[in-house]
Amino acid sequence: MLFDVELTPRKEIPSWIGYITPIATILASLLVCSVILLALNVNPIKAYEMMFIQTLTTESGLIFTINKAVPLILVGVAVYLPLKAQLLNIGAEGQLLAGAIVGTWIALNVSLPTILLIPLMFLGAGVAGLLWMAIPALLRTRFGINEIITTLLFVFIAQRIVSYLVRGPMQQPGGNFPQSASIPGVSQLPEVPGLGVSVGILLATVLIICVYIIINYTRLGYEITVTGANDRAAEKSGISKYKVYLFVLLAGAAFAGFAGINEIAGEEGRLRASFNPGYGFTGIPIALLGRNGALQVMLAAIFFAVIFVGGSNIETLLGVPSEIIGVLQALIILFLLTAEFFKNYSVSMSLKSASKGGPRDNTDVEGGA
Amino acid sequence: MSNDSFVEMKSITKTFPGVVANDDVSMSVKKGEIHGLLGENGAGKSTLMKILYGLYSADSGTIRLDGDTLDMDSPQDAIDAGIGMVHQHFKLIPRLSVSKNIVLGKREPMSVFKTEPDQTDEKIPSSIISHPVLQWIGSRFTLGLEKPKSEIQALANEYGFDIDVSTPVWQLSVGERQRVEILKALYRDVNLLILDEPTAVLTSKEAERLFETLSKLTEEGVSIVIITHKLDEIQSITDRVTVLREGEGIGTVKTADVDREDLARMMVGRDVLLEIDSEQVPNGKPVLEASNLYADDERGVEVLSGVDLTVHQGEIVGVAGVSGNGQLELAEAAAGVRGVTDGSIAVNGKDITNKSTRSFINHGVSFVPEDRYLDGCAGELSVMHNSILKGYKNDRFGEGLRLDYDSSASYAEELVEEFDVRGINDVSEICAEELSGGNLQKLILAREMLRDPDLLVASQPTRGVDVGAIEFIRERLLAQRDEGTGILLMSEDLDEIFDLSDRVLVIYEGEIVHETTPEEGSRQRVGLEMNGGETVSDSAKGMTTVAADGGRSET
Repeated sequence: MLFDVELTPRKEIPSWIGYITPIATILASLLVCSVILLALNVNPIKAYEMMFIQTLTTESGLIFTINKAVPLILVGVAVYLPLKAQLLNIGAEGQLLAGAIVGTWIALNVSLPTILLIPLMFLGAGVAGLLWMAIPALLRTRFGINEIITTLLFVFIAQRIVSYLVRGPMQQPGGNFPQSASIPGVSQLPEVPGLGVSVGILLATVLIICVYIIINYTRLGYEITVTGANDRAAEKSGISKYKVYLFVLLAGAAFAGFAGINEIAGEEGRLRASFNPGYGFTGIPIALLGRNGALQVMLAAIFFAVIFVGGSNIETLLGVPSEIIGVLQALIILFLLTAEFFKNYSVSMSLKSASKGGPRDNTDVEGGA
Repeated sequence: MSNDSFVEMKSITKTFPGVVANDDVSMSVKKGEIHGLLGENGAGKSTLMKILYGLYSADSGTIRLDGDTLDMDSPQDAIDAGIGMVHQHFKLIPRLSVSKNIVLGKREPMSVFKTEPDQTDEKIPSSIISHPVLQWIGSRFTLGLEKPKSEIQALANEYGFDIDVSTPVWQLSVGERQRVEILKALYRDVNLLILDEPTAVLTSKEAERLFETLSKLTEEGVSIVIITHKLDEIQSITDRVTVLREGEGIGTVKTADVDREDLARMMVGRDVLLEIDSEQVPNGKPVLEASNLYADDERGVEVLSGVDLTVHQGEIVGVAGVSGNGQLELAEAAAGVRGVTDGSIAVNGKDITNKSTRSFINHGVSFVPEDRYLDGCAGELSVMHNSILKGYKNDRFGEGLRLDYDSSASYAEELVEEFDVRGINDVSEICAEELSGGNLQKLILAREMLRDPDLLVASQPTRGVDVGAIEFIRERLLAQRDEGTGILLMSEDLDEIFDLSDRVLVIYEGEIVHETTPEEGSRQRVGLEMNGGETVSDSAKGMTTVAADGGRSET
């Protein structure tokens, strides 16, 4: 079975492909996932109905989805902003943990009414995320050291620090578990009255609108866009690349910090050694899918929230192992990202005989000498 | 068409949304001839050749090669048919060596996995090596560079290319990179070589060498198509020339039968003023005073060694020099884009040495960079985005933090209108990289000039643009000077330096070695000084004289 695969860039992308691909890819990924579900004796149609229809039509499903979307929107922006200037913040997870640590500390040690305490926690968490990025950002702007590597390495440092803190200085007094004390009720995120969703979504929406306005209606946004499109031309126009890089990295990191405290104050209630939500990494595909704009980032985050919530629905209701849910989610994301590629390339395959001459007659295939 | 034509393109029509790029165009190329394809920017020359090279498919029309009809879907088919193309913007990977760039896209497995193994490795039994699966993997996933490398080196030596094939491409000059592109085509055994504006990036000396190579190739039966808009080139090397205008074929003529004026008329459709009279205007106070400038390049090598330079109001100072002698860095230093290691720069009497680029811009300095794609624009952004690159901080585009894209768009439309930039129907929709070279250059010049700078640093402002645009750009430069702007003009085109400048400086190895005026100086002398004056060897001197005088034969 010897065959050649040829990829040719599409010269013109037909407009229908743009509309068809997202739908077709989701359907295709679901089709592949059905095989797995059938192997587990689960009716795929029922599973998908539960995963998508029920999640999006029941009140509890919607509330879960929206609450889940909040941290995803925030980390999506944490990756999206640097991406706009052609930088990759791989380590949003680290900034998220830094935000969680400082936010939890404030919640445990400052007594203020809710209306003041929660903004203070978010502020502290944002600053913590930002500071966690400070060293990678300075290394990038001053010495051109690749931010992909540094931000990633800072994730591991943050994880170890969490692990140390919940067994040391921040451990629940008198407790044996590696976790902090529960944060007091005043520091927990309230619900939006009458809607049942956490106020986090309001914050996330406001922040998304701010980012949208900054990118599309301000001089700073213009500088970021130009730097991302051609940093050399930007420099020749007097745009300070350093300023732009510092801004996108630090602002992005602050968003990751917000996501950290949102998780603690909205979901977890305390900092645990096992606190390892992985949202920071999910932020990367979210930002890639939504790279055309802040609103698209929000849509992509909501889509991810749907498959996360829907996934845990079928996990609990149909007894599908959580590993399989992970596989389903990964396949859907993989298909979506791959679709982006096939939008731009057309593929042709040709079978070749496995005869003796087969492997060697590559000259005519390559049109060579 | 005659029967001896090697390639024949018949009634080619190609439309893009809203534009007819080629309208029923026919041309034929004979075996072993150099065929010029002449036309203004946007006349459809590149499109026609991209069809021949399989990058575009024609809407209608036929292509015959050596009598056989060709049906091409991709450049691979064209390469298979023996057609090679050297693009205007080289398709090379800077970090890879010359030989790796050349074998790129071809399979060059380790010698034991070749169809005819040229050596056997004693260490591994041949029974293992010849196993089909191992062969299949080996022929696909191994890279054996030894044999190709020596072949490529031999090829390079045969054509007198002075290139070491193991050098990484980023270390090569532009001219050498072009030779690598030609080698790449030759290595694939071409019968027809298409060159898209090959001299746009070359110095006159390098162009001369290119032409020698091309005539050598034709002696071996290779047919060559040169896309160009330089009349001198057409006259000096082509056998026949096909002229396109606004997508239509105007006709094919024997070069010997026509003169420059005829060609220009065919190309533009009217009589063209080929030389511009520059009038002296009285010089005002100095706008740029640079003294004792020292600067390094990216690798930390000193490239400016004590340059003193003054540009006055209403004066064009031309700096002539062979590429790589520091004029690029001098232009960047004067525009505030490159820091200097020593010396001082004052604009309008104010010392702003090593201040930010933005403060140079605020002091009234405009800059037209040498490479318009790399440094002059953000290609993937719209014309509107690119139009406000320098002025986006201006109050007219919104107060405070806000940037008003509506007024930016109307400003962009002003630029487009004022400088006659073509091919734009919506300034916020068309990307800068979709414009043809000449139109993009006009847009950049419009951006830099319409802000009424006190000092304009223009690096190779007419390189790679068509005759019509050159005429336009030169006139605008002179008009800008007459309005009192001091202009520092870097050019490798001696005609341009002599036609436009009020004073001519020559830069060589980072120093100003000669100063003259167009009236008093001679091109020969300037050409000599560009190459190091009296110290150069005789052969180089001879070439320089030819190069410096190239294209002036009829005056």
